Amino acid sequence: MASVLERLRERIGVAGEPVVSIVEAGHLRRFAEAIGDPNPRWLTEAPPTFLVALAPASYHAPEAEQYGRGWLNGGNRFELVEPVRAGDEITATTRIADVYEKSGSSGNLLFIVFETEYVNQHGATVGRVRGTAIRR
Amino acid sequence: MRSVRAGDEIPALVKHPTTRQLVQYAGAQGDFYEIHYDQDYARSVGLPGVILHGLLKAAFLGQLVTDWVGDEGDVRALEVSYRGVDQPGRAYTCGGRVTAVDGNMVELEVWGQNEAGERTTVGSAVVEMR
Repeated sequence: MASVLERLRERIGVAGEPVVSIVEAGHLRRFAEAIGDPNPRWLTEAPPTFLVALAPASYHAPEAEQYGRGWLNGGNRFELVEPVRAGDEITATTRIADVYEKSGSSGNLLFIVFETEYVNQHGATVGRVRGTAIRR
Repeated sequence: MRSVRAGDEIPALVKHPTTRQLVQYAGAQGDFYEIHYDQDYARSVGLPGVILHGLLKAAFLGQLVTDWVGDEGDVRALEVSYRGVDQPGRAYTCGGRVTAVDGNMVELEVWGQNEAGERTTVGSAVVEMR
């Protein structure tokens, strides 16, 4: 049987199902409250890291959970092209960009790099988010 | 436009995350991984207790930069690496420094540190001034 690493590596570059969301003013407000940022700019515009609230990055790799006992987040990169505002319809599409294994001090670690692209109702890419998820 | 030079420090942002805030953030982001609100579960996977979402720390660094830039610019990039775990109930201090200015593009080094002064989150940001 192919290992988790081999099975995930076969999926590199393959897009998951697109997730379509309307950016709701109430969601922007709850997100700004949750991060503790009182800037009134975020009543109508998305703060820099909001895109991750529109699509869970690791949603299409549940088999990774057969590796190790837990997830860690290794890092994130946000590329923000255009502002995202309340009322926008955003389509998020996630791909696995890379999968690799490393040996650490407390055993092996599996790294899965996800990349999500966010496109608005006008067909413009508003941003990209890269995340390095680690199974340990 | 304000004068921005490489080497400028930007004002620090001190956050006081609580377990309540982790629950709020879990709901707002839609990340219900138990290590952020279930103490027993967090300990069962070898953590000292519940820990902050990495993405919450990224959001703090986003606020650090947007508090500094105000309405005079837009964040174009934010990159963060998580080097250690952080627990609620402890102050988390975000800091940054301008590393380069090229026309209206400003690059910054940003970091978040725990009460012991360890930088558990390190990264960079790019701001486009209007």
